[in-house]
Amino acid sequence: MANGLNLLFQFLDSFAFIVLAAAGLAIIFGIMGVINLAHGEFIMLGAYATTLANIQFGLPLPAAMLAGVAVTVAFGFVVERTIVSGWLPNAISQRAIGRNVIEPLYDRLADSMVATWGLSLIMVQGVRITLGNSLDQIGTPLGNIAYGGFSYSLYRVSLAGVALAVLLGTYALFRYTTYGMRARATIQDEDTARAMGVDTERTYVTTFAIGSGLAGLTGALYAPTITMVPGLGSSFLVEAFVAVVVGGPSVVLGTTLAGGLLGAINATVSNLFGTFFGRIALLVTAIVMIRFLPDGITGFTERLRDRLQEGA
Amino acid sequence: MSTNDVTSDPDIRQTAAELATGDRTDTLLATDELRKDFGGFTATDDVDFSVKAGELRCLIGPNGAGKSTLLNLITGTYEPTAGSVYYNGHDITDLDPHQRVKRGISMKFQVPSVYGDLTVRENARLPIQRFADGAERRRRVDAAIEAAGLAGSEDVDASQLSHGQQQQLEIGMAASLEPDLLLLDEPVAGLDVAEREAIAERVTRLNEQEGIAFVVIEHDTDFVASIADEVTVLHNGDVFREGPVEEIESDPEVQRIYLGGEH
Amino acid sequence: MATETSAGSPADGSAGRLGRVRSYLEGPNTVGNSRQFWAGFLVALIALAAYPMLTNSYQVGRVTLFFVYAFLGLSLSIVWGYAGVLSFGQVVFFGVAGYTFGVISVNFATPAGITGAFVVGVLGGAAMAAVLGYFMFYGGVRDVYVTIITLVSTLVLHTFMAQTAGDEWTIGEAALGGFNGMPTIPNLALGVEGAALTFDNVTYYYFVLALLVGMYLALRVLVNSDYGRVMVAVREDEDRTQMFGYNVKRTKLTVFTLGGALAGLSGVLYAAWGNYMSPGVFELTFASLPVIWVSVGGRKSLLGALAATIGIEYFRNSLGGELAFVIVGALLLVFILGLPGGIVPWVDEKLVPWLQRIIQSRSTGAAAAPTEETD
Repeated sequence: MANGLNLLFQFLDSFAFIVLAAAGLAIIFGIMGVINLAHGEFIMLGAYATTLANIQFGLPLPAAMLAGVAVTVAFGFVVERTIVSGWLPNAISQRAIGRNVIEPLYDRLADSMVATWGLSLIMVQGVRITLGNSLDQIGTPLGNIAYGGFSYSLYRVSLAGVALAVLLGTYALFRYTTYGMRARATIQDEDTARAMGVDTERTYVTTFAIGSGLAGLTGALYAPTITMVPGLGSSFLVEAFVAVVVGGPSVVLGTTLAGGLLGAINATVSNLFGTFFGRIALLVTAIVMIRFLPDGITGFTERLRDRLQEGA
Repeated sequence: MSTNDVTSDPDIRQTAAELATGDRTDTLLATDELRKDFGGFTATDDVDFSVKAGELRCLIGPNGAGKSTLLNLITGTYEPTAGSVYYNGHDITDLDPHQRVKRGISMKFQVPSVYGDLTVRENARLPIQRFADGAERRRRVDAAIEAAGLAGSEDVDASQLSHGQQQQLEIGMAASLEPDLLLLDEPVAGLDVAEREAIAERVTRLNEQEGIAFVVIEHDTDFVASIADEVTVLHNGDVFREGPVEEIESDPEVQRIYLGGEH
Repeated sequence: MATETSAGSPADGSAGRLGRVRSYLEGPNTVGNSRQFWAGFLVALIALAAYPMLTNSYQVGRVTLFFVYAFLGLSLSIVWGYAGVLSFGQVVFFGVAGYTFGVISVNFATPAGITGAFVVGVLGGAAMAAVLGYFMFYGGVRDVYVTIITLVSTLVLHTFMAQTAGDEWTIGEAALGGFNGMPTIPNLALGVEGAALTFDNVTYYYFVLALLVGMYLALRVLVNSDYGRVMVAVREDEDRTQMFGYNVKRTKLTVFTLGGALAGLSGVLYAAWGNYMSPGVFELTFASLPVIWVSVGGRKSLLGALAATIGIEYFRNSLGGELAFVIVGALLLVFILGLPGGIVPWVDEKLVPWLQRIIQSRSTGAAAAPTEETD
């Protein structure tokens, strides 16, 4: 019984971690066709900003978390304008030599991976140089929940609730806001959307800012529970990346299903064989999923649904 | 659907069946209830289509009728949802594209896709280098470039060629494989009258002198009229009409589907 | 594009046996198709050969490492630049080969055993690539999803090797060691007891250099051959190349396996160089280095990959620490965005012709000048 409860908590913890890590990345990938390998570092930025706001500047934790999100959004805006769209360097070069020097990274999946990888190297080492090898950690709120010899961090389990809220919020964003409408039109067909007057560039900037904000939120939320080292982003990146690919084209549903599937596998295998093997199982599942369901879970379910409708 | 629905034509059905058993050796290609679905959309709807050796067939139909899909099914680039493809008496449905090419099927793609960064000579050499070496190779490459009207432009990057020249180069490359069946997807799209005539003349020459069977997708009715023996009309993924070019030209039903009467 | 050569004679018409050798080494798929290039190449080679005599043993050892890495860079250049497969996973084959060499050579520390370890290590890298390649290419996995699978494979291996610290992870005498790594891997030795070639710092330097030069030349021949043309065609447009009768899946698998062998060779030389293997070789930071080297040097250029690997690693090693990585990351960013083709092709296509034009206009200008100079 106690072990069953333990498994449940591991699942909730894993689910929350994967969904929160993946949400920002999924939005950017789904709408802009950009794979941001610096996503982990955006999370790190949010975590660091939150920690500094709380410990150095004495802000209460919720306010510090907001500060973390704000910093990451601002940074995301700068990155989008300089690297992803190339707007700033092109504006400069237009004036200097009369032509653009950079192509935007939209829909250039491999190139965006490589470029954002360079960015992540800069960010990790840059933070290490300026802020040292580690920061003091904020204490974990809410304490532990104890049951029959086990105990689990209540805070981490409750993050599952936050993850669900994020998923619902993202769904509402896409469904009920004008931004959401513009974003969905752009996913469907960028040229048509532009022809119909959608300012695709503004949509992209907003999208990247939202994606960054979600990464910052993840960092802020996990700041009290993880060791604050510059390389902390890489443990998020792996899960996020894999969940986005496995989830498929539908941002909200895909992330939810991937979080559920991978979280379950990770939790179960970790429970039986330890965290290392849980991780390996997660990664191997991803490889197998990519091979057999290259469009991800939601890509597959879309085709299945079409075929069932067809047969009816 | 008109009563002249070719899919229920017993002759076509019989041809495919005979092909499967190895009879009727002058039929080169036959498809049997070939079907391709993309999600909920049926691009090719149980099509029975056949081509005789040495025949010059044109494939016409409104946009979205499934013409390119049918060609891709014949080459093996697409896997069918159902149905079979027979070639020279063999069932080739499970063969990979490169295996079908080795058996004599060749194709020119709809969008001109010469290797842009390679020169004309390097482009022309690629299909030939499998068959010939040394001096023989050089001769055949030069001949292919000559036939495409590109003598003198051997070292030009293919991306610098005009649209018409690229089409000629591509047709040449497909033909240099010495196929029995050559599939051309819109060979004259975007070309002027002189260029169209040049291509029509080239296709006819390849057909008459080398005995290559053709399936040509085109929208230009003059071009079709000038080269075709037989015309197949596709509509909504199905064979709508089939017959000699004069018959199809004067058929009012065919006019109607183009003008959007039926959808 | 570099000038076309017809079989039998190089672009500048050099005749005879030398010309014939050059015709195999030259072509549109590599830079450097002139007498000047080969002269320069020879000069560089002489300089590198003289280097150990001008410096101390420690420096020689350092530079040897850069040569070892160059094989890894070449492996990615072949796979990415010439067949269009962006692989973040070359380090998987590097690491597997290195560990294989380590395990076998620790258990059989005789020259014959070490030689066997060398061979098995390289083959292990190739085999691993063949398995992964078959799984991906014959499973219809395309484009960016191939890259993703190679990236995830690296992560799998990193996670796996990191937790091999316990005693149960010992094969014979060799403990895999987890994060502590596997130490006491012997130096390379080739041959059998009594007739073995062994190496010290300086001789190992020459051995690796010779191997590198030989491999570079061999790869030049490959990419300029008919098969190399097929590789390039596959890179440019898979569907079309298929329609010319080429088995694209098999080509990608073969090239990927070759890349695995090259990466494996690098891994074995690395293990023998440092006498140590650790899971750090599977870390994302190290996995990204080949991509950086090849992006900066020019992925479609063997020379670019080679030169950039040695250059960047020399720089990184000299600068040391985090600052080096910041600069290297910035380098990657700038190049992928601004000069995605890399340095060496740019030099070959833009810089050298520009310099040649300046030299030429200077000389024609000088010929016309006398009328101006007379008072």
